[in-house]
Amino acid sequence: MVNEQTPTHHQAEADDRALFGFWIYLMTDLLMFSVLFAVYAVLHDNTDGGKTGKELFDLNLALTGTIILLVSSFTCGVGMIAARAGRKNQVLTWFGLTFILGLSFLALEFNEFSILIREGHTIQSNAFLSSFFALVGTHGLHIIAGLLWIAVTLGYIVKRGLNSNMVRKLAMLSLFWHFLDIVWIFIFTIVYLRAFV
Amino acid sequence: MKDSSANDSKKPIKEHGTTSSYVAGFVLSLIFTIIPYYLVINHKFSTSALISTIISFGIAQMIVQVVFFLHLGRGPKPFYNIVFFFATVGLIVVVIGGSVFIMNNLHYNMTPSEASKHLAEKEAIYQVEGTLTGACQKILANHVVTISGGKVTPHHTDARLCDTLTFINQDSRVSIITFGPHPRHETYSGESELTVKKGKNKTITLNQSGMYQYHDHLDPTIAGDFIVTK
Repeated sequence: MVNEQTPTHHQAEADDRALFGFWIYLMTDLLMFSVLFAVYAVLHDNTDGGKTGKELFDLNLALTGTIILLVSSFTCGVGMIAARAGRKNQVLTWFGLTFILGLSFLALEFNEFSILIREGHTIQSNAFLSSFFALVGTHGLHIIAGLLWIAVTLGYIVKRGLNSNMVRKLAMLSLFWHFLDIVWIFIFTIVYLRAFV
Repeated sequence: MKDSSANDSKKPIKEHGTTSSYVAGFVLSLIFTIIPYYLVINHKFSTSALISTIISFGIAQMIVQVVFFLHLGRGPKPFYNIVFFFATVGLIVVVIGGSVFIMNNLHYNMTPSEASKHLAEKEAIYQVEGTLTGACQKILANHVVTISGGKVTPHHTDARLCDTLTFINQDSRVSIITFGPHPRHETYSGESELTVKKGKNKTITLNQSGMYQYHDHLDPTIAGDFIVTK
């Protein structure tokens, strides 16, 4: 019974260490994205006579995706407050909402990619499109990973309830989700907005 | 057995942020998304000013989200998180800034014809065979030479320095324009030959004064000349 009641500050210390480790992961992931951004910045003019970003992208669609992701970042944050207050149903609602928003963002991106590929603008067309698909696609893969993570975590919470271990996992999840939002802001600025300047 | 899932509410709420901080972050992010979008849609500034403006808004938004969503600097051990964050930002600046800087510089170290083309397009400096011919600040007039039925019209073109000359190929096959009287091949404007596909056209800037002849490499009877005066 003594072991069951872990002193609070030990638990908090373990949480901090875990979150710090996760923070280091996020920073290395950010470095990977920065390399993809550098490649895009260097190659975005090399269209090999093909269409440029301005002719290929739909800025309104990109803006819609950006706002969806922003709202999902917000719902995720509110869900995190509910988690720290121990309100299980609110956690399920807010993170469920985050999941749905993330899924709609992914649907938009999938739609954009499939239209481009159907019209013959694939990753093999030219250096510009290679770097575009590599950058935006990597972000999309992160979103898929995030969605799976949300689904699994919510499944655990439904089954086993909201304990302090789960709160720590949700804290990492929300860090990851906010991080993806920040990366997307730069994709929106450098890839989409930049193409229409 | 007692349920051990009782959550520890001993932690001060401040370090994790409150609903109001999320709302503030969300609203600011939304504003920082809409403003650059509006500026780009309406082309408010010149190109380079617009690019630096939208990137500034992107960075401002990143700072907003790092402060209001990630709560960087508000945790119990903010020091190492911040150190790691700024170390990463430093590396990113080196990676992206360095790549762009180096790759841009590379444009000036290409093969001579590519380099002179780049110089001519980006900086209006015209260079032929290592000899500067002076910069054409703006193009004055355009002259057209049409290739059809095995001959060029007009055969002779009078032009002034910094005019342009366009070859239009209306023949049924590709035309490779080379400079100089047949069989000599010289260069003009940094170009040793111009490949004009059928139905297409190519334009050169007349930045070298004097009299020049040209002919089709595949059919030397297709020939003409142009005089460039200062």
